Amino acid sequence: MHLPAHEFVKPRTLAESLDVLRQAGNVKLIAGGTDVTFNMRGRLFQPDVLLSVRGLDELSGVGVDGDGWLRVGAATRLTDIENAPALGDWPMLRKACRSVASRHVRNMATLGGNLCLDTRCWYTNQTAEWRQARGPCLKNGVEACHAIKTSPVCVALNASDIAPALIALDAEILLASADNERRLPLADFYTADGVHHTVRKSDELLVAVRVPPTADATVYIKETARKGNDFSYAVIAGRKTDERVSKLVLGCLSMRPIQLTGVLDVLGSGELTEALIDQAADACRAELGVLTNLYTPAAYKAGLARALVRRALQTLKET
Amino acid sequence: MQRQVMTLTVNGDRHEVLVSPRQTLLDVLRGQLGLTGTKEGCATGTCGVCTVNNAEGEALLSCLTPALEWDGEAVTTIEGLERDGRLAPIQQAFVEYGAVQCGFCTPGVIMSAQGLLNASEQPGEEQINDGMAGVLCRCTGHIKVKEAIRNVGRFRDAPAK
Repeated sequence: MHLPAHEFVKPRTLAESLDVLRQAGNVKLIAGGTDVTFNMRGRLFQPDVLLSVRGLDELSGVGVDGDGWLRVGAATRLTDIENAPALGDWPMLRKACRSVASRHVRNMATLGGNLCLDTRCWYTNQTAEWRQARGPCLKNGVEACHAIKTSPVCVALNASDIAPALIALDAEILLASADNERRLPLADFYTADGVHHTVRKSDELLVAVRVPPTADATVYIKETARKGNDFSYAVIAGRKTDERVSKLVLGCLSMRPIQLTGVLDVLGSGELTEALIDQAADACRAELGVLTNLYTPAAYKAGLARALVRRALQTLKET
Repeated sequence: MQRQVMTLTVNGDRHEVLVSPRQTLLDVLRGQLGLTGTKEGCATGTCGVCTVNNAEGEALLSCLTPALEWDGEAVTTIEGLERDGRLAPIQQAFVEYGAVQCGFCTPGVIMSAQGLLNASEQPGEEQINDGMAGVLCRCTGHIKVKEAIRNVGRFRDAPAK
């Protein structure tokens, strides 16, 4: 099936790209294309203009800034991130990048693209013909949700495997528009609305991700149907600072990655005994909100989240 | 939307083709250039049957690549592996090890394997799994495929048949 009609634009510089973003209305950014082309084919994206930033110098590359922070250009391919020597000091990021889909996809897909991945839903992520049976939903501008009938907001799930790892690492992102530039913690980039799931404004472009240096012990676990080439059922990223679990982030179970602050409160600075780990894992369900959508039942997701918290804490206990 | 002329080097031949923004790289290879060795399977990036190699020799999915994105660049398709009628070592290995069942996925499987071999002459087990996880044979012929890749060295510099 052909892609929907659009104008394809490929500027040579970041400044030109930002100009296009400011002037044109219905623009979709594309870099690797593995998510955008897929969603265009499913008629979920029907942009007037497809703006390619693939390979733009200003958006590419992995390096360490003068202040010791890792800097990754948003249009850097996941394969190039995995292979970058600098990643040796941020092993969790390498592991998260490597967990994404397949080598084929990682040879195309970019970090910025992964962080901006469209949210996914068992209803909308079907063919356009299939969806005609029940009609449009919040994702297509209609006040209806076919995943949770009573929901006033879209409950499509965040699909990024990498975001939880970067949030656990306290990463910040750099957003640029033609007249402005701003930094914000990646944790603040996401919203609890499956349609407008990031705070990126329509004229803004994700330029780079910066990650502070750390020697903390980390853990990253991705649970999926098959080891290769699948979206996650759930991922968890955790971190231990000064003998205390300082971060636990669950991904792919909600419209945005969830920081399990309540679980951290239960843990406090106590020793990670089996009893405490159990108690902490029990506290996780309360932080997840409404659980449904995407291929596995709510009870499975609740059990999975609990199990991932347990496994993450056990790993951190041993490191 | 206006069609545009783009240049695309395929298997060493430079082509100028008239392309619609609605087309993918796969559409252009099969439609305009008549190179039907590359197949369309799932068209969602899951099956890997549309795999071609980029200029660096890496595997990429032609079904998820808007054609105009590849303007001015070079790709290798399954048709580009043989030289003067002589199969490439990985193709010969697939023949000898019977790494083909119905054959529909075979171009994508071979181009994935070639992508792997371009990065590493003798890939280890983990590398093979990593490089081949993105391409699916629904006849389930993965064991023979891995045997062929492991033993590709036997077919390098073999005398012409």
